[in-house]
Amino acid sequence: MASSHVPSGAALAAEAAPRLRRRRPLTWSRVLRGSVPYWLILPVLATVGAILGYPLYWLFKLSFERYGLFELIQHKGVGVGWANFGSVLHDPIFWHTLVRTVIFTVANVGLTMVIGTLLALLLVQVSSVIRVLLTTGLVLVWAMPPVVAVQVWLWMTNYENGVLNYILTKLHFGSYLQHDWYASTFSMLSLVTALIVWGAIPFVVVTVYAGLAQVPGELVEAAEIDGARPWRVFKDVTVPILKPIFLILTSLSIIWDFGVFTQPFLLIGQSRIDTSNYLMGTYLYEQGYFFHDFGRGAAISILMLLMVALLSVAYVRKMVQFDEVR
Amino acid sequence: MKARYVASFALVAALVAVSTAAARTDSPTRASASKITVWLQVDAQTGWPDLVATTNAAFQKAHPGTSVDVQYQTWPDHLGKFDATLAGGNVPDVIEMGNTEMTKYMAAGAFANLSPDKSSFANSRSWLQGLAASSTFNGKLYGVPYYAGSRVVTYRTDLYRKIKAKAPKSLAQFTSIARKLRAKNGKRSFSPVYIAGTDWYFAMSFVYDYGGTIATFSRGKWHGALTSPQARAGLAAYKRFFDVASRGSKTGTEDRPQPYDVFAQGGAASIVGPAWFSCCVGKKYKTVTNQFVMPGHKAGQSMPGFLGGSDLAVPKGSSDQSLAKDWIRIFTSTAGEKTLQAKGNIPNATNLLGNSVNERAAKRSWFVPTAKNWVNVENGNVLRTMLARILTGKDSIKEATSTASDNITLTLNRP
Amino acid sequence: MSAAAPAVARGRRARRRRVTRAVWNVVGLLVLVVLAFPVYWMVSTAFKSDDQINSLDPKWIPLHPTLAHFTDAIHRPFFWVDVKNSLIVVSVTVALSMALAFLAAVALAKFRFTGQKLFIVLMIGIQMLPQAGLIIPLFVVLRRYGQVNTLTGVIFTYMTFVLPFSVWTLRGFLLGIPRELEEAAMVDGSSRLGAFVKILLPLVAPGLVATSIFAFITSWNEYIFARILLNDGSKQTATVWLSYFTGTSRHTDWGGLMAGSTLIAIPVIVFFLLVQRKIAFGLTAGAVKA
Repeated sequence: MASSHVPSGAALAAEAAPRLRRRRPLTWSRVLRGSVPYWLILPVLATVGAILGYPLYWLFKLSFERYGLFELIQHKGVGVGWANFGSVLHDPIFWHTLVRTVIFTVANVGLTMVIGTLLALLLVQVSSVIRVLLTTGLVLVWAMPPVVAVQVWLWMTNYENGVLNYILTKLHFGSYLQHDWYASTFSMLSLVTALIVWGAIPFVVVTVYAGLAQVPGELVEAAEIDGARPWRVFKDVTVPILKPIFLILTSLSIIWDFGVFTQPFLLIGQSRIDTSNYLMGTYLYEQGYFFHDFGRGAAISILMLLMVALLSVAYVRKMVQFDEVR
Repeated sequence: MKARYVASFALVAALVAVSTAAARTDSPTRASASKITVWLQVDAQTGWPDLVATTNAAFQKAHPGTSVDVQYQTWPDHLGKFDATLAGGNVPDVIEMGNTEMTKYMAAGAFANLSPDKSSFANSRSWLQGLAASSTFNGKLYGVPYYAGSRVVTYRTDLYRKIKAKAPKSLAQFTSIARKLRAKNGKRSFSPVYIAGTDWYFAMSFVYDYGGTIATFSRGKWHGALTSPQARAGLAAYKRFFDVASRGSKTGTEDRPQPYDVFAQGGAASIVGPAWFSCCVGKKYKTVTNQFVMPGHKAGQSMPGFLGGSDLAVPKGSSDQSLAKDWIRIFTSTAGEKTLQAKGNIPNATNLLGNSVNERAAKRSWFVPTAKNWVNVENGNVLRTMLARILTGKDSIKEATSTASDNITLTLNRP
Repeated sequence: MSAAAPAVARGRRARRRRVTRAVWNVVGLLVLVVLAFPVYWMVSTAFKSDDQINSLDPKWIPLHPTLAHFTDAIHRPFFWVDVKNSLIVVSVTVALSMALAFLAAVALAKFRFTGQKLFIVLMIGIQMLPQAGLIIPLFVVLRRYGQVNTLTGVIFTYMTFVLPFSVWTLRGFLLGIPRELEEAAMVDGSSRLGAFVKILLPLVAPGLVATSIFAFITSWNEYIFARILLNDGSKQTATVWLSYFTGTSRHTDWGGLMAGSTLIAIPVIVFFLLVQRKIAFGLTAGAVKA
């Protein structure tokens, strides 16, 4: 009767309350009937539809038009069919940027999820005082406005008197005085990665920690009494319950990191952004909006939408199918 | 079941249709203006709020019943906001535009034609060439020059005194001063003249000083002109000067770090930049700071400085163009310009120019090609890339200028 | 397990646990120092004099701390009004979004209805849209609704961006609730929707808290839409107020910016401290223990 993903501890709990198992089908089916779900999703649908309906239409319409500043003022574009898509897809810069962004996304998402989960587990292990301190620190990190965070990072990585160079030299990692962290694309984007991961960790930590809160103590204790080591407890009891949350966080991280704009734009600086360090977010902004080529920008937006959908489809599919197991 | 399915899709479709239809109706025309909206940059709010106040007071006296709503904008986002209003309505009546931002919008037809009213604006006959050029497109006037800023050299009087140097009168003199300064201070990171490698505002001054230009317009097309012998000579002179005088990053930009920060930390004996740099040289060197005009390669002549500045324009969709023009008239009147001058800016007309270092530097100036796509060349960092490659030696001057010139020709001529 | 007397074994285990915990505490502190260092740098810069901010060697501790930047920031035009606007916008956004998202998530997680898959895909799809492209048309739409330069316009805009992610995340939390917990709570088998919601709500409380913190911070720090939609200084939000520090063509007042940012971070911390008890509460109510 129990679903395949619920571990053995659940069987114990189930056995303890046999009456409930017989009651279950009756209760749920009564609720399942009716138009209730439609009413539940209506407010969300209405809000999103009212605000985003027109922008979505605009985006699709513009991707098939030549729409620059002149057309913006005239409120009328010139239809050009697939020309915008064609010009973007034939542009080698687009493909280089895409590859660079995919690698960048994988690195960011991987680091964020791993470090975030480890920290969430750490939160469980420390005493409550440290826990509150650490979480408050994380929330402060999370709450820093991007402009300010970037500026502090710029100070820290300044090649003249940055803290990072100072510390690395003092710790005898070699002489890092006057090391220019923005000299090469790899170094530049690594810094952007560090900045983004640093800013994204708090969300993962708080969410995973909240997920851990849903793991029933009884199940854990039952498994421990059975003689399971901490790693097995984690694997068999905790991970299955956290699975949907991991899937969500991963899919969200992929989506956000693929299209990230603010951090690379501010950290690298508008004067230093060029085709050698474009990421999809900065590429879209420069090619579409900075140059006032709105039609092209719309085409790139749609292509980005397709790309990120492709990247995250595995995770999204798993999430969508999740409730079918039940 | 099926009915519900149909109903839910109909609902979503209806929502999209409603929001689209709502967005398609024509905008209701504004009631006759009892208020005009003015977009000024935040520089005015912190720099000369008194001028704004007196202008508003004078305007309201002349037009009782009309109020002025001054909304302060920030440089990074004001164009994005302007674009949104151009698309959706609600354009300001007066907008401050950077002089390099004007051309694109003039070409797109965003502004009202002010040519018939040109003579009604104070000192319009002697407006600064650099500003007037930025407000003119296809022979018509679309903006009123507001104020300008030039580039000067801010220097350490104590260090110069040590090597018994006075303000140089030629590039050669300046170079020898730089050499002496370096001999006196052997620290690796010390710059006799701190320059960031890709500071194209400074580097292009050399090009113009040697008689070259960035691009020319002939027979209906733009032609990148950095491949001319004069331009190349200018860039060669820039490279020579940089190698002697600056330890700044060859690929770095002129805002990171800020030159005045380098100066304040004792990392430079001179820096090149706007005159207001003297504000931020730090407590330590405040009393030993002064400025002179950057000398050109011909003795006695200053190097043409990039003339930055702002213009005031009236968007076409303004609710009342004549009121808008009136406000601008008062704001840029001779009295207004004198107030701006007192705050350290360069006024908009040659007959108002005083003798400050800033204003003397403005006597010889250059401006970017007034092409509608020029902004794309700037945003594409074409010149910066060229300078970085020249200074690091990755490309010879010949190669780098060819690449950049072709790029410029392509970008400027794009429809 | 050891064959020694239970009391001794318990004592040894307790000591081992204490030592382990102490080790973890030290690790935790180290992590805190490394991660929160930029925050420390921001706050300490707010107390430094201008000379110290730009000095050549990093100044770890402000030598002669000054409150000048803070008083300067507070006296800038519209500080209190803009903070108030931010509080209004963000609290309404978070409250409404959590309520609406919870209902929608319940529909997705606990029901089966046609169009369900489509709705889920819509929720995730909206988040894949690059926001840059939406700025202009969103302004156009809101102008037609007469919502430019209003707080309600900003609230609805923020809700539109917070809802999809909240629905998506809350659905995950709801799916993650072990069946046993639900059934244990539904002892009397009540079937009405209200009671049904009442049962799920406490079980998903930690998830709601995490999501609401995210919604709060995202809305609090949102800048570009607030900048585009709000014109009057009296209507703008705190992030727009902050942007005036860096928006001039002259030098930036770093001390002021840092002081302003520190002040603006305070409501976020307050909100977090208020709601974080919910997570801790859920934890002590019987979850993973050391």
